[in-house]
Amino acid sequence: MNDLTYGAITRDILRPLFKPSVAYLGLLGLALSVMAWGGYCWYVQLENGLGVGGYQPPVFWGVYITTFVFWIGIGHAGTLISAILFLFRSKWRTGVYRASEAMTIFAVMTAGLFPAIHVGRAWNAYWLFPYPNQRELWQNFKSPLMWDVFAVSTYFSVSTIFFYVGLIPDIATVRDKTTGFVGMMYKQLALGWRGTDRQWHHYMAAYGFFAAFATPLVLSVHSVVSWDFAMAQTAGWHSTLFPPYFVAGAIFSGCAMVITLLLPMSRIFDWGKYLTTWHFESLAKMCLLTGFILTYSYATEHYLAWYSDNPYEWGIFAFRATGAYSWVFWIMVSCNCLIPLVWWSKKLRTNWVVLFAVSVVINIGMWFERFNIIASSLAHQFDPASWVYYTPSWVELGILAGSFGWFFVWFLLFIKVMPSVAIAEVKELVRPPLKADGEAAA
Amino acid sequence: MSAPSGMTVKAVFSHLDCLVDGIHAVKKSGHKDFLAIAPLPRHEIEELIYEGRPSPVRWFTMFGAIFGGTYGFSLCSFTHLNWPMIIPAGKPLVSVPAFLVITFESTVLMGCLFTLLGLLLMCRLPAFDLQVEATDRRFSDDAFGLLLNGLTAAQAQEWKAKLHTAGATEITISEGTDA
Repeated sequence: MNDLTYGAITRDILRPLFKPSVAYLGLLGLALSVMAWGGYCWYVQLENGLGVGGYQPPVFWGVYITTFVFWIGIGHAGTLISAILFLFRSKWRTGVYRASEAMTIFAVMTAGLFPAIHVGRAWNAYWLFPYPNQRELWQNFKSPLMWDVFAVSTYFSVSTIFFYVGLIPDIATVRDKTTGFVGMMYKQLALGWRGTDRQWHHYMAAYGFFAAFATPLVLSVHSVVSWDFAMAQTAGWHSTLFPPYFVAGAIFSGCAMVITLLLPMSRIFDWGKYLTTWHFESLAKMCLLTGFILTYSYATEHYLAWYSDNPYEWGIFAFRATGAYSWVFWIMVSCNCLIPLVWWSKKLRTNWVVLFAVSVVINIGMWFERFNIIASSLAHQFDPASWVYYTPSWVELGILAGSFGWFFVWFLLFIKVMPSVAIAEVKELVRPPLKADGEAAA
Repeated sequence: MSAPSGMTVKAVFSHLDCLVDGIHAVKKSGHKDFLAIAPLPRHEIEELIYEGRPSPVRWFTMFGAIFGGTYGFSLCSFTHLNWPMIIPAGKPLVSVPAFLVITFESTVLMGCLFTLLGLLLMCRLPAFDLQVEATDRRFSDDAFGLLLNGLTAAQAQEWKAKLHTAGATEITISEGTDA
């Protein structure tokens, strides 16, 4: 990368902007269609009520909560890469962090839809937030669901600020390469950024503080999400293991999603200089580490359930592996614990086809992990008379598919209007232009 | 930024070491009204100009975090006292462990919002009225800039020669103007 000039970096990274190819428009059209189908399914639910879902008492948390947790998990990798790896001065983050941050924002936006979809009467979703009202009625701040509202909304706000502040110098670069109405839009978004010494001085200080704030958030958000379950007395949920287990799983799925999104981009946009095998290998190693923690957590929770000698606790874990939902359990184990092991081979984790395929498999496995936790515990509670077999309805599955459409629409729009690789930070990685170098060469 | 009085010298540099030489010359002369522009943050420039002085943004961060933490805990406590839910087993109305989650989230949120406020104020953003000489499109791409404001005509000519010696590839002298 050291042979690159600042001008070449600007040119290469801005090249994919604005001019959509036929393939891009096709992908956008597909994402919009899937999103529209999801929107229709939600309309059906709003029109007819939650009865169109596959809920059976006592299972009232199903696909929507599963998908909410899945998207929150996906949203973890971006801030991990942009904040934690920034504080550790990890160089491989530079190429991938911008797109990962965008992925985080869009994933949390997607996740944010699900509590509203889940509660049925979405128009009352604002009741989740504390606001002054004439009845002086307030939320129960001792409830983990309330903690989750604060955790997710704070995570979204902080991630968005961090993302936008990081974008400002690059938006200024785009502004200086565009004219007319488009240039005017970028001019407003760049806030008049010019890269003066004063601006950079305060910018770098603030950026460090944002990273420092975002770092504990990465660990706290999924911990709080895990308490939605762990604070309940339900067998299979009530465990102190949940926070680290959920955080590891979130980083595992998030890093896999970064590979899924960036690998095709690096090929299509010819960004081999900026998104190299080294970047993807580092992400794969991160998945291996967190996947190992996850596998260890699966083993630990099963061991503790057996060791507790509690028939309800052990009953649910035995049910997960051998009962009606065993197919979900074994998909989870195969996708999260076994198949990613191929990445221990350097040859396979540097093979782009294997990298992409395994990253997709991990995300399938992580969705099933959340379904395994939620559905099996609720469908097989203390009283055998209440045992049911919950299966999602077509409406729930349609909304699940629609969430992917919604996410990809945002992501595809982003890569056409904003630099998906951080221009200023990539320039920091190359040797600056020095007169002394020219004189030495002469 | 308002229109600087006097003459302005704008020097464009292709090389970072030449810009650093130029800044060094300006600092040595004691001239205070100058602006260095770069497409990326460089520690050489920051150390030369700010000499290790930390940014005041940190005070905004600290105030925001303290305010946020206090606000979060107070929100939980006072709303629970305002509408007491008597829970069996002697659980307290103001429960510190349960309220710490909201307190932490408010600390982080307010800390970030105040840091953003500090950043905008200290960088004087939005800055759509920055002097026109600073709006060179090359400065966000592959060139560095140095602007010296508040010079007399004679001083401007003198600086033109000095910056040329430092390695500037293009030097222009103008009256201070608004963008």
